[in-house]
Amino acid sequence: MIPTDDLRPLDDLRSADDLTFHRVIRVEAETARLAEIRRFVEEAAGEAALDLERIFDCKVAVSEACANAVEHAGGHSLPLEISARLQARRLTFVVTDNGPFRRLTPAREDARNRGLGMPLMVALMDEVSFARAPGGGTTVSLSVLLDRIAVQPV
Amino acid sequence: MDVRVTSLGETPLIEAWGDIDHSTCGSIETALAEALETGSGNVLLDLSQVTYIDSGGLSVLLTGVRLMRDRGTLGVIGPNANVRRLLEIVGLLVDPSFQLFEDKGTASAALEGQVTA
Repeated sequence: MIPTDDLRPLDDLRSADDLTFHRVIRVEAETARLAEIRRFVEEAAGEAALDLERIFDCKVAVSEACANAVEHAGGHSLPLEISARLQARRLTFVVTDNGPFRRLTPAREDARNRGLGMPLMVALMDEVSFARAPGGGTTVSLSVLLDRIAVQPV
Repeated sequence: MDVRVTSLGETPLIEAWGDIDHSTCGSIETALAEALETGSGNVLLDLSQVTYIDSGGLSVLLTGVRLMRDRGTLGVIGPNANVRRLLEIVGLLVDPSFQLFEDKGTASAALEGQVTA
């Protein structure tokens, strides 16, 4: 079982369109935890009624943010927090690590095809943002707008 | 995730099952190195049983394609629609050293045609 915060109590009178939740998991920043993180994402995205393609996109995008954090942790067992919030027809995953702020510069992208993560996040999500977390770590926010009309890539 | 290296005709074939992520992509990398050591011009990778791939796995494929330059192609067999979409996003589908096959039969026919041509 993945420890998650309970769903906020829902008002029975609300329609499904007003569904709201906020849940959080905390794991060590290790690649071995990625499968568990994907299950968390899959459950939240499924509950937000995303289709299978968009659920897959969320899993990849959140994994990329977490993989960056793991790489950044450099073998140290730093805590990683992943939250899923559905509010106002927007599903947002926030990945927060507690390492020093990662400078996102091209120098970090070596010849081994690293640096694929960020283009993937941008390609798969409706909105992506990076910020310095209050504690000095890095926060990556990945959002899907539930009412966005799908645009086919040209 | 599970990985096995066999062959399809003369061509080394890597078969993978499950999720290819940053914690499991190492075994694909190892299998790819093993397949390349056979000296075969082409290498096949069956992804039909792969449910998920992320940049860990995609990096291995991109490296594989680079290693196939001036040698042959890396042929990927049967990726599901989601995996295929990611292959497209990272530019693999338009790489001259990359080939996409619907199934083993198509891959086999194409590679045989190449030999006799």
